Amino acid sequence: MEISIRRLSKSYSSEGKTIVALADVDLNIAANQIFTLLGPSGCGKTTLLRCIVGLEMPDAGEIAIGNEVVFSAEKNIYVPPEKRGLGMVFQTYAIWPHMNVFDNVAYPLQTRNEPQEEIRRKVERTLHFVQLDGFEKRPATNLSGGQQQRVALARALVAEPKVILFDEPLSNLDAKLREETRKELRSFLRELKITAVYVTHDRIEALSLSDTVAVMKSGRIVEVGTPWEIYFDSDQRFVADFIGRANFIGGKVATAGEPYTMIDSAIGPIACEKKSGAAPGKAVTVCIRPEFIRVLQGDQGDGRNIFRGRVESLVFVGDAYEGEIRVNETPLIFRIEPTTAVREGEEIALCFDPHHCSILLS
Amino acid sequence: MSKTRTALTPGLIVIVGFLTICPVFMLILGSFSEGLGAFGSFTLSKYVKGYIDPALADILANTVIFTVGSAAVATVLALFLAYLNTRTNIPFKFLFRTISLIPMMVPHILFAVSWVLLLNPSNGMINLVLRQLFGLEGAAVSIYTLQGMILVEGLLDLPIAYLVIAPAMSAFDVSLEESSKVCGASNLRTLFRVTLPVLRPAILAAMTLVIVRSLASFAVPSVIGMPGRIYVLATHIYRIVATGYATDYGLAAAVSMSALGASITLILLYRRLTRQGEKYVTVSSRGYRPAVIELKGAKYPLFGIVALLSFILIVLPVLVLFYTSVVPYSMVPSGKALAMMSWKHWISVFKDPVSLLSLKNSLYLGVGGATLGIILSFFVAYVIVKVRTAASGFLESLSFLSFSFPGIVVGIGFMWFFVQTPLYATIWALLIGYIATYLPYGIRPLTSAFVQIHKNLEESSRVCGGGPLYTMRRIVIPLLIPGIVSGWILMATMFVRELSLSVVLSRPGTEVLAVQILRFAEDGLWGRLSALGILMIFISTTLVIIASQIGVRLTKVDK
Repeated sequence: MEISIRRLSKSYSSEGKTIVALADVDLNIAANQIFTLLGPSGCGKTTLLRCIVGLEMPDAGEIAIGNEVVFSAEKNIYVPPEKRGLGMVFQTYAIWPHMNVFDNVAYPLQTRNEPQEEIRRKVERTLHFVQLDGFEKRPATNLSGGQQQRVALARALVAEPKVILFDEPLSNLDAKLREETRKELRSFLRELKITAVYVTHDRIEALSLSDTVAVMKSGRIVEVGTPWEIYFDSDQRFVADFIGRANFIGGKVATAGEPYTMIDSAIGPIACEKKSGAAPGKAVTVCIRPEFIRVLQGDQGDGRNIFRGRVESLVFVGDAYEGEIRVNETPLIFRIEPTTAVREGEEIALCFDPHHCSILLS
Repeated sequence: MSKTRTALTPGLIVIVGFLTICPVFMLILGSFSEGLGAFGSFTLSKYVKGYIDPALADILANTVIFTVGSAAVATVLALFLAYLNTRTNIPFKFLFRTISLIPMMVPHILFAVSWVLLLNPSNGMINLVLRQLFGLEGAAVSIYTLQGMILVEGLLDLPIAYLVIAPAMSAFDVSLEESSKVCGASNLRTLFRVTLPVLRPAILAAMTLVIVRSLASFAVPSVIGMPGRIYVLATHIYRIVATGYATDYGLAAAVSMSALGASITLILLYRRLTRQGEKYVTVSSRGYRPAVIELKGAKYPLFGIVALLSFILIVLPVLVLFYTSVVPYSMVPSGKALAMMSWKHWISVFKDPVSLLSLKNSLYLGVGGATLGIILSFFVAYVIVKVRTAASGFLESLSFLSFSFPGIVVGIGFMWFFVQTPLYATIWALLIGYIATYLPYGIRPLTSAFVQIHKNLEESSRVCGGGPLYTMRRIVIPLLIPGIVSGWILMATMFVRELSLSVVLSRPGTEVLAVQILRFAEDGLWGRLSALGILMIFISTTLVIIASQIGVRLTKVDK
């Protein structure tokens, strides 16, 4: 079911200061999609999620889930969370410690007074789905972090909600388990065909789980797009910077044309993927991600975007070398295969594919 | 929901405000009044009379020596125990937890009485033994001295000092000690140069708290001090209202003002110290592991001291009382004593209508009072933790105010209030006074229980389709059960043994156990006193067991 949010605003007052958590947010979340709200802490993403679920009261605006308006400041509508029929997985999981796994999962059905037999059947089916068969009688506190997370997911799914919401559900897991759970969650959600809204500050989670990512900053939605668009073709420096490490090189558009747009920059002319709005003479920023910088050995490359520089530093991080190279006094960070024969202090040639050089207008 | 919330906070402020401010307000008015019958007729004469009394200087000196002495005894013992428990490999660590729980087991008045039975100059059991052994004339040792009072009060307040010091000791960042040892300092040097200085705020806080408690203490000064004619502020105030022919509540109120002022000042100091303590003691949650010091040869001798302390604090008083309740008069345990044992004192207690009435009243006050008290505490704790407005902060300060008031002073204040109402000399007067004085004991465990319920646990229930009331019933209250049970137990045991407030408010017909025990002590009826005392311990223990069983049953997760 789709969610539409119109001009939503919310601010808090804390110690006499007013903090704007949401500023005029407009957003459409398509049905049966995994939609991620991504942003640094304090950007308002959790507040937005809590407004959708009904745990926060916005100051202004309107929220509709499907055809039902669940909040409208103008029409004075506020549907409390228990009447919205949603499912939610909390960052803390919020597993009730005084109940066993069965009662935790059965709770949403019990609030709806469904018949015992029906409850038992649905709980069993849901626990099977999250691969917790036979855990019914376990005290909920007696589970590992990953299992608790799956109980929370089962509880959010058992009543077949219209929408399921996730508030940083993986942030309490350790790195290895987080990766496994992320993959698991992805396959669960693909299988279900359900609208999911997912809040995270982790770019890898956002990129790997979502159909659509919305990047937030200071209470505003900065950019919405597919993971691919956000990663490769963002319009904004903030987004490009937040979604991954990047080199930003200032310059001016020299020629805008086929097949590439040429930029005059501090390190020399750079051929970039063309961009509408990049007219000759305009000041722009070129964004090059460190993983797309290649080291040239011998005579390679098609002659485009080849630069020479001195390796200032080089750190072995296991699956790669990470380092800094200075090209015409401009430092660039790069990331290359660990088998590449490069040493600190060496003069090397490097190149980057024009397809991976994007122009930021702002 | 928001509407009921907004009505809840002011409502609670009115109730709690009445309970805590009313006695203080009436005390101040009373101290400027001619007398209970002539309330409101302004006079300064009570202050003049109270503070030019030549005996007052001695009383104040006694009070200072008594309170500071008890604080020193309690704090040194507490430091010793806390250090052994958190820092060394001393065996049987469960004993330390038991020691910190004794205030729930042996009421203060009975503890004091048991020392009188052992060490009073005329027929204390230890004195009798010493007399027989060495053929002494008169008493070898007398408990009826300032030192005796300090020793007994210090032992009684040991748990309070321990409860303040032990958490600080175990939250202490061990790396501070380790770096001292790396620098070449010995264990002992590290203890005196690093550990104790860092713990200074906690130590001072413990001392301050014990001074407040011993200033409010009435059991020890009345049972041990009064027979030796050693008066402190609490017994001085008691003497003014209790000596039948010349009771003067105005004078008592005027003198009480200084006890109240001292208590409030000390509590403010205590709060400052505990805040400082948080800044001082570095608690590191990550990688915390206590560095355990090997005691080696000192292990069992040190444990012997702990065992002896536990024996003195828990077993000895009960043994002495039980023994005294079955022998006809004070005598050294012997074959002769064994032959003369009988249930005589028990039978006379069960035939004494006043004792029976006091049993009934105390049981009623314990069960009913604790239940009402915990209901009030529930709402107050809810507002303090969950509502979190300026008004709820005010409610919090208000509800912990009474913690600093000495019981006898609250009693005098309430006396001025109750004589104006039909509540005077009814059991309701005691009930209201008890709840007012002991409200923090109910609120404290409930606020910590509320704090532990993460906001998400309730929110998750709302999202799952449970309305506010459903959430309260199925999530909040079940999770609060442990807090409710421990709050109820604390209040019920406090009420069953309550003395310092009751000596003022209790009238013929509303006698309670502790007051009846004090009367027996004043009349030297040690046998009956002991029988009634054992009954009192029995009632408290039964209430504790029943309440914790109910708690266990209610919190069990279905398997």
